[in-house]
Amino acid sequence: MNTRFLPITLGFLIAGVSPLLRAADPIPDRPEKLQFPPLTYEPPRPSDYRVQLKAGPVAYVVPDRTLPLVNITVLIRCGSYLDPVGREGVAEVTGHLLVRGGVGDKSAEELEERLAFLAASLTSGVGGDSGSVNLNLLSKDLPEGLALMRAALTSPRFQSDRLELHRDQMIQGMKQRNDDSGSIHGMETVRLAYGTNFWTARMTTGASVQAITVDELRAYHRQWFHPGNFVVAASGDFDKAQLVERLEALFADWPFAGEMAPAVPSNIVMAPGGVYVVDKDVNQGRVTVMLPGVKRDHPDYPAVTVMNDILGGGGFTSRLMNRVRSDEGLAYGASSSFPGGVHYARAFQAGLSTKSRTVAYATRIVLDEINRITSGPVTDEELNTAKRSFVDSFPGTFDTRVKVASQFASDEFTGRFAQDPDYWKNWRTRIETVTRADVQRVAREHLHADRAVILVTGQKEEILKGHPDHPVKLEQLASGKVTQLPLRDPLTQEPVK
Amino acid sequence: MKRIFPALLVLLASASAGWAQKIPVVEKTLPNGFRVLMVERHEEPRIAGGWVAHVGSANERPGITGIAHLFEHMMFKGTPTLGTTNADRDRAIIEEQERIRDGMRAEEALMRAALRRGEVEDISSPEARTERYRELEEEFKKLVEEQRSLLVKNEFDRVYSTAGATRMNAFTTEDMTGYFIEVPSNKLELWAWMESERLLRPVFREFYSERDVVFEERRMRIESTPTGRFYEQFNALFWDAHPYNWPVIGWPSDIPAISKRQADEFYALYYQPQNITLILVGDFKESEAMPMLERYFGRIPKGTQPAPEVITQEIASVAEKRYLAEAETNPQVDILWRTTAFGHRDTYVLEVIEQLLNGRTGRLYKGLVLGRQVATDAGAGNMSKKWAGSFNVYAEARDGKTLAEVEQALYDELDKLASEPIPAEELEKVKNNFSASEYRRLTSTFGILYQLIFAEGMGDWREINAAGPRIQAVTSEDIQRVIRKYFTKENRAVAHYTRKAGAVSDEDPDLAGLAADQKPMARQLSNRIRESKDVEQLKAFLTQVRDQAAGTDPKRQQLQKILVKKIEQRLAELAQP
Repeated sequence: MNTRFLPITLGFLIAGVSPLLRAADPIPDRPEKLQFPPLTYEPPRPSDYRVQLKAGPVAYVVPDRTLPLVNITVLIRCGSYLDPVGREGVAEVTGHLLVRGGVGDKSAEELEERLAFLAASLTSGVGGDSGSVNLNLLSKDLPEGLALMRAALTSPRFQSDRLELHRDQMIQGMKQRNDDSGSIHGMETVRLAYGTNFWTARMTTGASVQAITVDELRAYHRQWFHPGNFVVAASGDFDKAQLVERLEALFADWPFAGEMAPAVPSNIVMAPGGVYVVDKDVNQGRVTVMLPGVKRDHPDYPAVTVMNDILGGGGFTSRLMNRVRSDEGLAYGASSSFPGGVHYARAFQAGLSTKSRTVAYATRIVLDEINRITSGPVTDEELNTAKRSFVDSFPGTFDTRVKVASQFASDEFTGRFAQDPDYWKNWRTRIETVTRADVQRVAREHLHADRAVILVTGQKEEILKGHPDHPVKLEQLASGKVTQLPLRDPLTQEPVK
Repeated sequence: MKRIFPALLVLLASASAGWAQKIPVVEKTLPNGFRVLMVERHEEPRIAGGWVAHVGSANERPGITGIAHLFEHMMFKGTPTLGTTNADRDRAIIEEQERIRDGMRAEEALMRAALRRGEVEDISSPEARTERYRELEEEFKKLVEEQRSLLVKNEFDRVYSTAGATRMNAFTTEDMTGYFIEVPSNKLELWAWMESERLLRPVFREFYSERDVVFEERRMRIESTPTGRFYEQFNALFWDAHPYNWPVIGWPSDIPAISKRQADEFYALYYQPQNITLILVGDFKESEAMPMLERYFGRIPKGTQPAPEVITQEIASVAEKRYLAEAETNPQVDILWRTTAFGHRDTYVLEVIEQLLNGRTGRLYKGLVLGRQVATDAGAGNMSKKWAGSFNVYAEARDGKTLAEVEQALYDELDKLASEPIPAEELEKVKNNFSASEYRRLTSTFGILYQLIFAEGMGDWREINAAGPRIQAVTSEDIQRVIRKYFTKENRAVAHYTRKAGAVSDEDPDLAGLAADQKPMARQLSNRIRESKDVEQLKAFLTQVRDQAAGTDPKRQQLQKILVKKIEQRLAELAQP
C-alpha cells in the first residue's frame, strides 16, 4: 500500500471538511476514501489539579460527579530495594499486612467485616521501588473510609497470626516457582538482564521469609510511611475544596518522624552475550532476546519508542509479528519492548514462544529483524502507522478521571513533573517530529544483535535438534556460546545439582 | 464534565440496599436481521465498538472442534481490497492452494492409518511426513511465497492502528465469538466500513499458517502449563453428553485437520446478519449512528436459513466422579457441580452463594483458611453459561493437611449454609456489594461494551439491567433450597491434585555446549571418571586424552576440554586425605 491513510496535520487536528454522511454516494472500496469530521483534543493539565498540602504531600485532586464513588491512592517512597540482605520480603510483607493485620482500634477481622459491609476496598502493597495504599468506596462513606486509611497509615497492628498465615502463603507460592516455565523464565530473565547482585534479582527465600518478625515490620513502617514520602491521587464524587481539607486532616500531626527514602540503586550489569538454556519439560520453548536499554529521560527515547513500535511493539503492524506469526505460523505472539526506566535503564526485550523444534529458527528471525532495522531505513508507511497510532490514540491515556489523577501522581512521584511539567502537552509533538533517519540512528545506536543475551526455557534436547526444514541450530546464534543454566531450588534459590 | 446519569442523585437520596443503576441501552433491528445496541457516553472522545456472533465451540462437532476460534482468527485476514495488491491473483492462489491441500489431506489420512497400525509414534513430528506429503508441501510453499509477494501484511490492523484505534481484539467462548475495538469519536464511519466489509466479503488468506498459530496458542494455554491438560481432562470428565466437554481451542487432532472449506461453510451458517448483534458505546449520537449502520451493514444479505441451536442436553448424573491427578502444582481440591444456565431463576441464587463463600470475609476463607487452618487459599465460582452451568469450589491445602480433610471442610461450609439460616447482616453485606458494583461497572466505556457483548452472547443483553433486582430479592430460604437441590453427591465431580515428584533435570551443565551426538559418549565417560578410584588409571587416561590430536574441529576440542577438566577434578578429589 503506498497511499497515506491520513494526511499528517499539525496542531493535532485530524482534517476533513466534508459532511459526515454522503448517503447518495456509493460506499467506497478503500478506507482512505472516507473523510472524517475534525477532532481536536487537548490533554488535561497537571496544574489544574495539583495541590501542595500543608501537611506535606503533593496531591492531585480530580472531581468527577458522574458516579457516587471515590478513589484515593497514597503512593509511598519505599520498596523491596530497601530490604536488608537476608531479610528479603520485609517490604512485601509490610505492604501486604498494613491493612490486613488490623489497624488502630480494629482487629483484622473487624476491619475486614466493616469494609465488606460498606462494599469498600482498602488495599495496600509494596513493590520493588514504590508502595501504595488505595481506598475505593461509595462517596457516602468517605469520612469513615479516610479514618480507616489514616489508621492503616499511622497505626497498623501487624497481628502475629496474620503474619504467620501470610508467611505460609508466601512459601506455598514459592513452591510453585519451577512449575510453570514462564515463572522460571521470568526469574532468569531478571538475573541475566541486570545481574544476580542487582536488587531486582534478589529473591525471597523460605529462610528470609521465616526470619521476618513483627518488630521488623513495625520498624520498616515507621521508617518510611510518613507524609514526607507520600504523593496522593484522588478522584471521584467530592467537592475539591472539601476534599483538600479532608486530605490535610488525613496527614496532619503524624505520630512519628521517619526518614526520606534513599535513591533507588542503578548498578545493573547485563550477562555476557550468548545463548542461555534452562531445561524444562514443556513442549513449547520460551525465548527472550535481551539488549541494554535506556532510561526514559534519554533524549533518544521518543525515537526509540517509535522504532520499537515498528520492530515489535506495535502488535500486528510490527515486523516481528508479521514475520514470526503471520508469515510462518511459528508463534501466537512475537513482540519487543523498550520500556525505558525511571531509576535504571530497563532492558530491551524481544520474545516469543514456539514448539521446541522451531525455537532456533524463530529466534534467528528475531535476530534478523533486529539487524534489518539497524541496517536499513523503515518505510514512510511504517513510520506513519507508528506515529498515527500513538498520536491519534492519545486521548485514551486520560480517558477516565481515575487515570488522570493516577498518571499525574505517578509523574510527581517519579520526578517527571519536576523535570518536565509540560511532558504530556508536548508528547505528541515529540512523536510527530521523529524521522526515518532518527529511527535508523537510534536502532543502530541501541540495538547490537551480536551482543544479544538470549534466554531459552524448554525441552533442551528437542530444541537442540532443530527442524529439518529450517537448518539453523541454537548453537549458531549469538557467537555460538550455549550455557546451560541450572534449575534453582524453589525455596533456597540455590542451583539444583 | 457532563453528567451522563442525572437520575442518579435522586436514587442516591434514598441510598440503601437495593440501588439499581440501569444502563440506558437503545435497541434497534436492521431490516436484514442485525440487532443493534447503543449506549451514548460523551465524557471522552472515544467510541468502543463491537459485535457478537452467536456461535461458539458448543456449536461444533467432533472432527472440527476449535473451528469457531480458528474462524475468529481468520476474520482479521482482510477482504478483496484489504490485504492484497491483486485480488484476482490472490483468489486464484487460494483456490490452487486448496487443491494441493486436498492432496495433503489424503496423505494425512494415510499418516493417521500408519499411526493406528503403530508404524509411527507421532504424526505431528516433521519426520513422520510421507514423501508425497513433503512434495506437496514444497508446492504449497511456492504458492505461499507468491501470495506473500502480493500481500499487504495485516492491513486490517494497519488501517485501524493508523486511525488511532486501540484494544482491537476478539475472543471465543463455548457460547459466543466477540469482536471489539475502540476508535476516536470522529472515526465511527471507519468502524462501520471496516466491520461491514469483513462481514460482507471476508477473505481467508493465510489460512494454514494461521492454523499453526492456533496450535501454538493451544501449546501456550494448555499443553505447556502445569495444570492446563489436567483442567482440560477434568472438564471433559465433568460433561457427559453436552458439547461443553471439548475445549474451546479444540482437540489437538482436530485443529491441524480443519479445512478452509469447512471454514467457508461455518461462515455461511453462523455469520448471517440475524445471528449477529452490533454494539456501540461512547461519544456518538444515536440519531447519526443509525443511518450509518443502515447504510453499511444494511448491504449484507439476510441469511437463508436460521443458525441451528445447541440441542444436546446434559444427561442426569447418576454417580459421583473422582479425578486423581499428579501435576506440577501445590496439593489442591477442585469440585464442580452441575447447576443452571444463564438467566435461570436459580442462577441469581447461585451468584449470591458464590459471594457468601468468596472474599476475605467469605465463608470459605474464614472457615478453611483462618478457622480450621486446613488451607492457604479457597474460593468459589458460579459458571452459568448459555446452555448449561456449573458451580466450582476449590482450596489449596496447607502444609501437612490431607486433601480428604480439605474436601470435607468444603462440604461442611456448604452444609452449614444449607442447614442454618443466613444471618441478616451477612446477606445484606453481600447485597451491598452487588449494589455498589452497579456503579463500579459504569466507570469505563470499554467495560460497558464488554458487559453488553458478554450478556448478549449468553442469550440476552437485558440481563445486565434485570439481574440486579433479582439478586436483591434472594432470600435465606432460596439459598438453602438451591444448595439442597444442586449440591448433591451424584451431581459432582471431585479433583484431587497432588504434587508430581520432582521433574528436575539431572543434566550436567558442563556438557551443555556439546552437540547432541557427542552427549551420550560424554555422559558415559564422565560417569566413569566420577566413579573411578584408580589414580593411575585416571592419569593414564588424562595423558591419552591430551595427546589425542583434536585437530581443528571445534566440537572435538570442546569435548577434549571437558574431559580434561573432569579428570583433573576427580584426581584432585582423590588427592584429598
